[in-house]
This record gives sequence, C-alpha cells and structure tokens, in this order.
Amino acid sequence: MQSWRRKSLWLALLTSWLLVLLGLFPLFRLSVPTSPRAGAPQGWPHWLDAELLQSFAKPGELLEDGPRPPQVLRGGSCNWGACFDTSKCRGGGLKVFVYPAAGPVSETRRRILASVEGSRYHTLSAAEACLLLLLSPDTSTGECDPVPPQWDGGRNHLVLSLHPAPCPRTFQLGQAMVAEASPTVDTFRPGFDVALPLLPEAHPLRGGAPGQLRQHSPRPGVALLALAEDGGRWHVAGTDFSACPWDGRCEQDRGPKQTHPGATLPNATFCLIPGRGPDVLHFLQALQAGCIPVLLSPRWELPFSEVIDWTKAAIVADERLPLQVLTALQEMPLTRVLALRQQTQFLWDAYFSSVEKVIHTTLEIIQDRIFGPSAHPSLLWNSPPGAILALPTFSPSPSDFPFYHLQQGSRPLGRFSALIWGGAPGQPPLKLIQAVAGSQHCAQILVLWSSEKPPPTRWPKTAVPLTVIDGHRKVSDRFFPYSAISTDAILSLDAHSSLSTSEVDFAFVVWQSFPERMVGFLTWSHFWDEARGGWGYTAKRTNEFSMVLTSAAFYHRYYHTLFTHALPKALRTLADEAPTCVDVLMNFLVASVTKSPPIKVPYGMWHQEARPPPLEPGGPGLRQEPQPAAQNCINQMAAGFGHMPLVSSRFRLDPVLFKDPVSVLRKKYRSLEKP
Amino acid sequence: MCASVKYNIRGPALIPRMKTKHRIYYITLFSIVLLGLIATGMFQFWPHSIESSSDWSVQKRSIRDVPVVRLPADSPVPERGDLSCRMHTCFDVYRCGFNPKNKIKVYIYSLKKYVDDVGVPVSSTISQEYNELLTAVADSDYYTEDIARACLFIPSIDLLNQNALRVKETAQALAQLSRWDRGTNHLLFNMLPGGPPDYNTALDVPRDRALLAGGGFSTWTYRQGYDVSIPVYSPLSAEVDLPEKGPGPRRYFLLSSQMALHPEYREELAALQARHGEAVLVLDKCTNLSEGIPAARKRCHKHQVFDYPQVLQEATFCVVLRGARLGQAVLSDVLRAGCIPVIIADSYILPFSEVLDWKRASVAVPEEKMSDVYSILQSIPQRQIEEMQRQKWGSVSNPLFLPLIPPQSQGFTAIVLTYDRVESLFRVITEVSKVPSLSKLLVVWNNQNKNPPDDSLWPKIRVPLKVVRTAENKLSNRFFPYDEIETEAVLAIDDDIIMLTSDELQFGYEVWREFPDRLVGYPGRLHLWDHEMSKWKYESEWTNEVSMVLTGAAFYHKYFNYLYTYKMPGDIKNWVDAHMNCEDIAMNFLVANVTGKAVIKVTPRKKFKCPECTAIDGLSLDQTHMVERSECINKFASVFGTMPLKVVEHRADPVLYKDDFPEKLKSFPNIGSL
Repeated sequence: MQSWRRKSLWLALLTSWLLVLLGLFPLFRLSVPTSPRAGAPQGWPHWLDAELLQSFAKPGELLEDGPRPPQVLRGGSCNWGACFDTSKCRGGGLKVFVYPAAGPVSETRRRILASVEGSRYHTLSAAEACLLLLLSPDTSTGECDPVPPQWDGGRNHLVLSLHPAPCPRTFQLGQAMVAEASPTVDTFRPGFDVALPLLPEAHPLRGGAPGQLRQHSPRPGVALLALAEDGGRWHVAGTDFSACPWDGRCEQDRGPKQTHPGATLPNATFCLIPGRGPDVLHFLQALQAGCIPVLLSPRWELPFSEVIDWTKAAIVADERLPLQVLTALQEMPLTRVLALRQQTQFLWDAYFSSVEKVIHTTLEIIQDRIFGPSAHPSLLWNSPPGAILALPTFSPSPSDFPFYHLQQGSRPLGRFSALIWGGAPGQPPLKLIQAVAGSQHCAQILVLWSSEKPPPTRWPKTAVPLTVIDGHRKVSDRFFPYSAISTDAILSLDAHSSLSTSEVDFAFVVWQSFPERMVGFLTWSHFWDEARGGWGYTAKRTNEFSMVLTSAAFYHRYYHTLFTHALPKALRTLADEAPTCVDVLMNFLVASVTKSPPIKVPYGMWHQEARPPPLEPGGPGLRQEPQPAAQNCINQMAAGFGHMPLVSSRFRLDPVLFKDPVSVLRKKYRSLEKP
Repeated sequence: MCASVKYNIRGPALIPRMKTKHRIYYITLFSIVLLGLIATGMFQFWPHSIESSSDWSVQKRSIRDVPVVRLPADSPVPERGDLSCRMHTCFDVYRCGFNPKNKIKVYIYSLKKYVDDVGVPVSSTISQEYNELLTAVADSDYYTEDIARACLFIPSIDLLNQNALRVKETAQALAQLSRWDRGTNHLLFNMLPGGPPDYNTALDVPRDRALLAGGGFSTWTYRQGYDVSIPVYSPLSAEVDLPEKGPGPRRYFLLSSQMALHPEYREELAALQARHGEAVLVLDKCTNLSEGIPAARKRCHKHQVFDYPQVLQEATFCVVLRGARLGQAVLSDVLRAGCIPVIIADSYILPFSEVLDWKRASVAVPEEKMSDVYSILQSIPQRQIEEMQRQKWGSVSNPLFLPLIPPQSQGFTAIVLTYDRVESLFRVITEVSKVPSLSKLLVVWNNQNKNPPDDSLWPKIRVPLKVVRTAENKLSNRFFPYDEIETEAVLAIDDDIIMLTSDELQFGYEVWREFPDRLVGYPGRLHLWDHEMSKWKYESEWTNEVSMVLTGAAFYHKYFNYLYTYKMPGDIKNWVDAHMNCEDIAMNFLVANVTGKAVIKVTPRKKFKCPECTAIDGLSLDQTHMVERSECINKFASVFGTMPLKVVEHRADPVLYKDDFPEKLKSFPNIGSL
C-alpha cells in the first residue's frame, strides 16, 4: 500500500514535469498529430457541463410572446390573405368573368377567351364574378387596353399574359394577381401570382399533341443529353459526353455531334436548359418529348409551381458545377430516371399540352386557394389523371376516387348499385331485376324512370332495396350523380338488357381489380375510315374493341360526377340529340381519363337470341350496328375532345377455368359456359 | 501530454478489469495530469492552433473554459440580409465539389464567448438546444473538421432567441468569423425572431448573404429555395411522453390552449365557445396555481384545471393562432399530441413547407375568417379528418405508373435459361422463333463444366441469337439485366417449354403491352392461408383463382430484372440461389410488392407435358416440391413483412376465344390446344 502511494505520487510528479517541458507551444503542435488520438473521431465537444446549460428561451417565453392585434394590410406587397376578397366567392364558389376584347382579336387571344368561356367557372356577369380576368395585350394587336370598368384597384383581378406584353401597362397593377409566362423569381409573389409556361404561338386550343414517350425506360443507346440551343433547337450529344457542354467552355470536348437542324423535340434522356436565356420554350419541348428537364440555375419560376411538385419531373442543378451535374446524371439510379420520365409525360398531358389545359389549370389553382382546406391534396395534382380531372367537390378523400387506391392502400367498396334506365313503356324488366338482385354483391337497384307514362306501381319483391327515380327524359340523365347511389360501383343497365347473375358477379369481381376502367359485356370498336377521312365505329364482332356499351357495364360512380360537371355542355347536348352518342361520349370520357381501353368480360350469346328487337332504332337498347347518322357523332366527339382518346384492346377477361377441360363442379362461374 | 491522452482513451476499457486499488490509482493519476495541464496554462495556446491543426485534443471540456473573444466597438457589421438572395446568386457551390459523392460537408466553428470592449457578454454562450443541434450535426456524415473542405459553415454563436442577444454586437461577432466572406455558405439557426414592438418575422441580426433556418418566416421575409422554415422547438415535447392516439372522434371538437392571445382573438374564441358549447374548449393561464407547479404544464378554463399538453389529445382540432410571432411552439405540441392543427396565421411559411404537404395534416384558416372557423371545420368530412389524424406523409408508387402501351414494333427478347438439355433447348428455340414479335433470343448457359454446342449446330432462326455463359450455376442468372436485352419486354422461358404455340406466345406479348407493369404468364399458381398450420400454402391445383404465374413462361418488363438483381429485399436472392428453387415466387413477390398489382394469367390451362422432361406440372406434383414451395412463400412473406401477392379470378383470352365465330377470322386461332 505504502509503495503504491509513493509510486503514484512519483509518477504524477514526473508526468507534471514532462508536461511542463512539453508545454512549449511549438512542441504541443507537433505532438498532436503523433498522439494516439489523432485518428479518433473528434468534433463538437461533449461538454462536461452540458446538463447545466440553459434553454434558449425562458420558461414562459415560448408560450407568451406578447399579444398582437390582428394584422393590418402592409403596403407595397400583396399576398392572398391581404389582397383577395374571398367573401365574393362565397356561395357559388369561383365565378370568373373575362373582359371582352376591344378591337381585333389575335388567334392566341381567341384561344384563351374560348378556354375561359368553356370553363365550368365562367360567368357572363361581372357583378356575380369573384374573379375578373384581364387579358394582357399580345403581340399582334399591339394596343394597350384602357383601365377596365370594374378595376377597383385591381382587387380580385387576375392579369393574364401568356406572352410577354409588348407595351407597358398604362395602369398600376395594384392588388391584381399576375399570371404570366416564366416570371422571374425576384418579382414573383408565391401563393399570389401564378407562374405560367411560355407557350409557342401555335399551341392548340384543346386536346393537344400527346407526349412523345412510347416506352417507360430509355431505349438502349439513346443519347444521354440534349442541350438547348438558340432558336428552339437542340444539340443532341452521345452517351460518352465528357464535360462541360454548356457555355461553350469546353467546345473541343463535345461528343459526336448530332445536331438535327429543325428537330424541335429532343431525343435524349436528359435535356439541359440554361436558366438565363429567354427561350424557356425549351422546357415544354423537353416535357413533351419525355426528356427529363435539367434546369441550370433557373432565374424564372417553374410553371404552376404552387401546386406541381417539380422535383418529381425535373432536376434543378447549379450551372456552376458542370462536372458534378454530369456525374450525377450519369449515375442516377434507373428507378429515378423511370419515375422522372413518366412524370414529365403525365404533367405535359395533364396541364400543358393545350391552351385550354393551361387556362383551366390556372383557374383550378385560384379555386384551390378559395377552397382552402377542401382544395385538391397534393397527391391529386401530382399523380394521374391530374387535378383538372379529379374534382375536389366529389370528395376530399383520395380513396373515394377510382385512381388512388394503390397509393392509399385502399380498395373500392365491396358492393354495387344497379342503375336501370327504363324509358320504354311496358312491363318492368322482371327478369333483369331478378338476375341483378340475385348477385351477392348487389347493394341496391335504382330504376331511372324516364318515360312520359307513369312508372308501374308494382315492382317485383327483391332481396335488395329498389328505388324508382324520376328521370328528366334526357339520355344524359342516366349519368347524373344521383345522391341515392351509395356504392363506388355502378352497374349501368337498360331495361332491355339481359344478363345472368353469374355474369354480373364475375364482371363485378373483375371491376374491383380495375376500378378506374369500364367493365362491359358488349363492345364496339372504332377505326379510321380512309374513304370518308374520318373516324367510324362498328358493333361487328372483331378481334379488338375500344368501347363497351353502357347498357350493361360496371364503372365507378365518380364518372357520373365527371360526366355531369366536367364535360362541356355542348357535348352533352349532342348526346341528348343522338342517343347512341351517349355511349361514345361516356367511353371517350373514361378513356381520356385513364388512357386505357375498357375491359370486356364474357357474355352469353344466348342473350342476343332471346332479346326482343329494339323498339326504336338507335334508341337505348342492346344496340347492334350504329346508325349512319350516329357515325358522325364520333367525329364530333373527337373534335370536342381535341383528339381521339379511345384505346383498343385485344383481350377479354374470362374466369380462370373458363371452358377448361375440367369438371364444371370445380368451376365458380359455371353458368357462363352455356353455349 | 502523450501520457494523459493515452490514459484518457484507454482508461474506460481497462478499468473494469482492474482491482479497485488500481482504478483509484489511475483516476488519481488522470486527475493530477489534468490539473497539471491546466496549471501549466497550456490552453492559452489552444485558440491559436484551432484553425490550422485539427480540433480539440481533449474532447470533454467545460463550457466555462471556452476562450473569450473581445469585440472592438468599431469592428465591422455585416450588411442586412439580402432579400434577393437565391442559391445561384448568393451561394458558392464551388466549395461543395470536393468529394465525389456530391455530399455536402459542414463545418462548425468552435465555441467562443464574445464580449464587447468593456467585457460585457454579447449573448449567453450557448443554449442547451443549440448545443444539442450542433452535436447532432457533428455526429452526422455531413460533418467535417477540415474547414478547407467544408461547403457549409455553422457558427457556434447561438442565435436561436433574438431576445437573448445583442443585435449589433452579435452581428460583429459573425463578421469576424474566419471564413465569413459576407456570410456566403453560412447557415444560421433562429427560432424566435424579432422583438418588441415590431416583431420582425426574420432574425434582425444583420447577416448579409447567410442562409437562415428560421421559425416564423412570413411570405415577405422568406427567400424561397434559399431559406428554410423550421418549427419552433417546444421543451414540453421532450419532457412529456404522450401515448399514441388512433384516429377517431375526440371529446372536444376544437380546442385553444395558447395563453397569451390578443384580447380581440380571445373575444372571438369566447364567442365561438358561447355559440357551440361543449364542443369548443378555450383554455387560458391558471391564475391561482399552488406553489411548485410549473405554469407551463397547466391550463385552466374558469375553475377547471387541465394538464398540458395531455389535454391536446382530447381534441380533434387545435387552434394555432399567431401571436406576436408567426411561428408558435404550440404547433409542435399539437402535432405531437395527434391533434389536427388549425393554423390561423396569415402569410406564415409553415415548417419545411418545401418538402411537406401540410394540407394533408392541417387546416389553414385566414385570420379574417376566424369567426367562421367552426363551420369551416364542420364542413370537413369525417373520413378526411381521420386521414389528417394519421398524418401520413409518404405513399407507395408504382415504378411504371404511366398508362402507356409500348409499340408492337419493339418486340420482345426471349431469355432461355438452360443447363444441358440441348435437344429440348433447340426445340424451344425453334418454336419461339416462330413468334412474329420476337426480336432477339438470349440463351443463358448456366453450365460451367460444359461448353455450349458449336455455333454451326444451333438452329438457324430469323432473329439474332446470343449465348451468355455464366460464372456460376445460379437461378438468379435468369433475371440478370443483361446489356443484350434491348427491348422492354422480356419473355422468360424454360428450356423445356415446347408446348406453347406461336399464337399463344404472340397473344401473351400483346397482353403484356396492355399491362407493361405486370407479370404476364401462362401457368398460374395460388397461395392460400392454411388455418390449421397458421401459415401460407402453395397451390398448383385447378383453382378458380390465381396469384402468381410461373416464370418458366412469362412476359415482364426488363426493369424488374434490375430490381431482382439489385433491389431484392433481405437475403432472398442468396436464399434462392442456395436452395436452387423459388426464383419465380421471389419475382412474383417483388413485382406485386412494388406495383401493388396482380399478375395476369393468359390463355387456358395446358397439360405441361413433354416426353423427355419433367415439366413444371410434373415437378409440382412432387410432394416435397410442394412443401419447399410453401416454405418459400412463408419465408418471402416474412422478409417482405407483408403478403404482397394479389388474388384474382380472371385470366386473359383473345376477344373471340371459343366464341361462335369463323376460326379463320380470329387473330389467335391456335390457342388452348392441348
């Protein structure tokens, strides 16, 4: 014990002395790297007295930071809360009035006006409008409008200029919002102004060219990069692109040059777009081409940045780091490349491909601001089919729509409502009602009585509730979103339809796998008629189809809302005038939303033999060949949509053991096998 | 010096094994050495060496010992914050390109105590929260000690609370930082900005180009894409443990718990309570609390006393009302309690709003609409309320989500996995080569002991045929993303599948084009839940349902080869290779998991029989085989943590299959022949 103590004291003394010797500054510095700790992780010190540290705020300070009266409007800058009077929009929601053009109207301006007037928010009365739209003069007229009559300091006004205004505005913008193409980030007021894309002069009014992407993944050997050049051209570079392709700084390093003069759409995986240049037109071209836009330090606000999550479709990179950007692009994981490519196409098609879409998106953004909590969730803006086609008035919950079950991990409700359109006199469709009510999935039967004569007083007794609704005798009424429809699935039927319980059961189970599509029994197919230079369609049995008849089809009840509230009135009127057109219209609508064909399920041929001949030609029934007059309908629809949305399919979905050489007792849907 | 450091490091490891006597000895020694160090005043040299040498040599130190820096009264003050700053104008990216992985490196200035020229401190040295924050940064991968390699600089000057510092002098302290350079690439943290009477919404300390992570930005002070909005920290959130509460109705519909509200707001809230009674609860400070109870933890309504923040869990909606500042600590409490925040603060930039979709978890109500707040909230359907209560931020997405039908002209690549059944392989090649849309044939030669037949012996076919030799006989070689695959569509086919007709294969390809994100295959299989054994079971009988297709003959997108090879979860890939089985089940799991969709079985069931081989069906009958396959399903389900397979009752046939229609007019007449 004694020796220990002595030893320790001695050692301590020795060490202290050593330290004093080493304590000279230069030696200290040298000793640090050689010390055993040199390689050990160091960093922010772990304070011995960290426990004693005070909180950054005194106990009450966070909870009471001094009361402050309600905010007063600050001069100079505007934001939504301060400069827009939402009380004007109460009741009717967004109502948009557009000032009529004074003097000659340019083509672009005409398209914008037509788009606004075609919008479901348009009103002809400035007094009832809550948003007043002022079109900024465009290049061709060159005349500046005077201050409009209801200007009121610009309150609740949106000044819209799709093209850079050629003449200075003669009045102060005041409290007006500005929707302009590619605004600079310095003047843009987020949440108040709207950033628009810079559209080419010849941008179509509606429909618009589809995205160029034909496959999900880039084709092997396709160029990695395309670089935006002046005059809307692209310089496509090979995959072995070495370095700094922009600013002309490394000209000699350019890969094999493949400039296609006049080629407006780039064929590459990534499209480099300089941020300062005025030709942001390149941005839309890249989007359409499915070429992932790589924006090099953009000085302008990305279009509709308030609602579109551009991180999912484009890359914002720093133009000062060419090597790092190139490396990052080359090494980008395939999964991200795929996702970005697809998103460009979705965004192009949903919001940018026509003037109408751009205008409607702008109005939808304003509408969302007014809606506040019940606006489109971000998911609806940023995944197909997009916010214009997903009406927030239908439901605030994405799982109520047919499109988001995968993202939400939800499923459509497990039963259906049969909606029977009965317009013809005679007996109630007993057999049909019994067959449908016999389905275990049937929740209710709704009869939409649309005849002049009163409906029969006695209806068959069924296991499920049967309700008779008085229709308005218009064909388009059958697609009205009746509040009585309580299920996600609707089985749309004609009184003349003939179906078996087995067929209904199987079709419904198939529909549950494809809740966004129409699942039907009888099909039509469309074709391009060279001789007449237009579209035609046929009910003949062929190896493919693109439409299913709504006289017997399952679809999601959301399409009733979309049909009634989103379709242009002119198209619905057209359908009312030529009843067979209503099938075409419904198929157009669903196809334009899903970009997919409908689904056909087996239908017993014996139905058609047993079926009475249709009472009125072309009337609602199990229609065969469309009447020649109706042929024109498909072309009018295609014009109304701006393109041909129908997609053909070459298969039919049958039960797994359909007509297989195995005992029928094993088969769940054995009655489908009747000859 | 060396000795002290050495003992410091080795001490903890050695001590447990030593006798108490020895431990006392070493601790004593350590203390003496430490005393000696301090006594010799070595630390006075330390500040001079910090910038050039590496960091502290002694990691555990006391706050009281940090060096003092005296700021002359005339030392420079930075410019006020530059509102026009954006990443490309004010941020120097050239400092960030040092490491190949493009990862930014963060440097933290060492802690100092700043005093003015009369020795009065500029601010408190460091707060508990800021110390924790910096510790977290220092423990992360972003941290670097090397100031020369840093891209982002964090001053250790504590700016969290503007009230706790002197504005001008703090700015002077910032300006004298060694790499300040107008604040370029410097990141400042602040939670309580502004001060009476104006309460600016951003830190008033002049900071020039520095980035600001601030709590309480408004649209006027926030530089989009440059600043970061952060939540105001609530000390209660760390102190109190709140149990998780599921979605559903709560006792109160709307609750206000803030204590210092402007009388006008309080009147509005009182009016709401008067109108809606029990459903609305407006709490205030407790006036007569007994000693010792922290006022922050209690709230009162008239004479009723409530525990805070626990009371927040009793309400569906909780008001977060602007005070003098826009950012309120109560937001953190409300979110943690699972109450849906009702944010009434015009122009407030919500925390992390650039990346978080606040609409999914909160309700924003304009200040002028405050009197309508009850009816606004009432109009939100119950289902949406429940979704908000769940506060889900993320979602799953299909990697091939775009609905698009690839052009038929692209065709498909057939990949035949083979070992040594050359005769059968050649028959498969000949049969598959008749399919019109075949664009290339790839033979994966999985036999390392035998060379593939000579070039001249292979069947002559109209499309390129390529043989790939593998390094090891592994089943996963079938799913490797070979460079030779140029089409998106891949047909995986076994070397004994000779019974599929050209019509059937072509039809399968056509169906795949309509479902490019799915597995489209011929023989279908099913998984079932075995109630007796409480586990999954594999089923190959004639069933009415399908949840898998065998990859002995299946079309799929080549992207899934990439996923199988590089992104297969857990040890499944190795497990399959080791067991030489179930690669097809693994592929079915993988695709279903990532797309959330079912497989598509095409064409009627066939007797998969061939004269000289054990075909899939033949094999499947084997009892041990069935047991193994069932094991695979259970194993994979546990690795995936879920059962991703989807059961369906349909298969795809040509539109006119078995219809009463002239066969010669049908596109795919030769389908279903046995």
